[in-house]
Amino acid sequence: MSAHELLHDMLLIRTFEQHLIKRRDHGFQLFSSGEEAVSVGLCSVLNRDDQLLCSGRAIGPALARGLEPGLVLAELLGKVAGPCRGRAGRGHMALPAQGFFGAHAVVGGNLTIAAGVALAMQSEGNQNLVACMFGDGACGAGALHETLNIAALWHLPLLLVCNNNQYSVSTPRAAALAPQKLSDLAVPFGMPALTVDGMDVTAVRDATREFSDHIRAGKGPAFLECISYRFTPHSTSARESRPTAEIEAIQALCPIVRLSSQMLMDGEISQADLDQMKKDVNAAVQAASVFAEAAAFPDPAEVLHDIV
Amino acid sequence: MTLSDETAAATKIFFREAIIRALQEEMQADPKLTLLGQDIGAFGGSYREFDGLFDAFGAERVRDMPVAEAAMVGIGVGAAAAGMRTLVSITYMDFLMLALDPLVNYAAKLRFKTAGQLRAPVVVKTTAGAKGQGVAHSQCIEAWLMAVPGLKVVAPSTPADAYGLLKTALREEGPVVYIDHKRLFPTAGHVPVKAACIPFGQALHVRSGSDVTLVSFSYMMTPTLQAAERLNAQGVSCDVIDLRSLAPLDMATICTSVKKTGVMVTVEEGQLTCGVGSEISFRLREMLDGVKIARIGAVAAPVSSNRVLEAASLPDADKIVTCVLTLLNGKGG
Repeated sequence: MSAHELLHDMLLIRTFEQHLIKRRDHGFQLFSSGEEAVSVGLCSVLNRDDQLLCSGRAIGPALARGLEPGLVLAELLGKVAGPCRGRAGRGHMALPAQGFFGAHAVVGGNLTIAAGVALAMQSEGNQNLVACMFGDGACGAGALHETLNIAALWHLPLLLVCNNNQYSVSTPRAAALAPQKLSDLAVPFGMPALTVDGMDVTAVRDATREFSDHIRAGKGPAFLECISYRFTPHSTSARESRPTAEIEAIQALCPIVRLSSQMLMDGEISQADLDQMKKDVNAAVQAASVFAEAAAFPDPAEVLHDIV
Repeated sequence: MTLSDETAAATKIFFREAIIRALQEEMQADPKLTLLGQDIGAFGGSYREFDGLFDAFGAERVRDMPVAEAAMVGIGVGAAAAGMRTLVSITYMDFLMLALDPLVNYAAKLRFKTAGQLRAPVVVKTTAGAKGQGVAHSQCIEAWLMAVPGLKVVAPSTPADAYGLLKTALREEGPVVYIDHKRLFPTAGHVPVKAACIPFGQALHVRSGSDVTLVSFSYMMTPTLQAAERLNAQGVSCDVIDLRSLAPLDMATICTSVKKTGVMVTVEEGQLTCGVGSEISFRLREMLDGVKIARIGAVAAPVSSNRVLEAASLPDADKIVTCVLTLLNGKGG
């Protein structure tokens, strides 16, 4: 994926979320703004037949995986045009036919599921991999230890991607987790593990590529920690717990500004092309909004569909 | 369905052998079926209910796992959702509590939440009940699971039902919890020679009577049938129903029986509060008026490994006989 595409995909997530938060009907959301580089860098390396699983912070991962913004917005707003007919929302959105096995809003809940998906892929004997994104909060959960152990034991084609945004709601990483570096958690299991700057999309992409080669060669799982910063509170209903000075400092680390500045400096993109890209992304989000607004809410009778 | 239909052209085997036979047949028929569990490989399972499968199908399809129940069920569910079919063996039902997240929060909701894009054809096979192993190796928590939309729950009492229900479970498109009982493994019974599934949601009418309907399942069918025999000697004729399937529940069979007897007693080994009997009783009250009802279950206490205390906590034939006679004499209901 070119730098243009990386930039475009990050801009799309940011613009999409900026549109969503302005809507009165936005509902309960967890945003990926500030953390775009993690999903975009990761997804830039995934193949069509790979699968991505993520936490309930799913908007960034879903858009980075290439789901149509209109479908995503429809799902978030509870419309039947969403891939899960609006039943899953942000926390459980999925489109496995496009390589997005889906979100699961229980912290750490998707880790063991992802290992199972990886087992199914391994049993099919293909070169595909499963990537599972989770937050630093999930690193305190037993499910991670159980998954690391079995994935290593069985050489599962599983890439564990810790999006370490450094807070579980209000609890700082240092107050919740003893290890200084979360990638150290994977080391005793004998798998390659690395911590990278999650605000640098090319660093995330390059590390993902290295690990994806390792996994596709049948050498088993890998663990990638990406240090990131969220620009907004934990969720649309959570109080901001971080000091203003910290939030201001975080804004200066914006992965979109970082990449676009670099590209402008290197002459990879002109200011005019960058402005045009922003316009195009805005137009795409507007189109998504029109699509989602036109879609219907489910009939109440649907509450009993697809149960058993 | 009556008992005689099921015993035609049958062979007598042990309960654990019925499980092996069902697994063997279904693994042969479906190359995607993989078993996951602790000590199920060369060891053959804690109750030897997996004997021979490792030799027949190999280590990839009969996978020994570390002691990690959440990951065992999570991996079983994830693999099933991604196109395999899995059976996860959780040695004791008490340990299933460690794995409720992938089962309840993920598998049971998967079809609904993805609008049918994904399903999890996974069977969680576990063993419930008391047999001297104490407070965290004895529990019957099937009623918790019955309350989860999207889960099916079955609990056979005979080798024939173990065989037929497990085969059905292994062909379902969504998650099933299949429950054995420790005291059933050494029992033997007739199983049809011809391969056959038993549909979920069909209770078995195992004894005909006119005075009282006894409803039970799993190992509690043993004291229930003993009680029915003793009550018969005292002139009380019992209609006995083996539920076999807890979710879905076959209320029609229960209702037909109670219309005849007007009296129902439920017998379970789990807790009475929000239990299987409570659920059946209330549903029955919604269907029939003027019925006398009583429930029998474990007392509200942990199940001790102390054999005096274990026996004191659980239903037995004496307690069932006493309960029925009290109810019929007008002191209950």
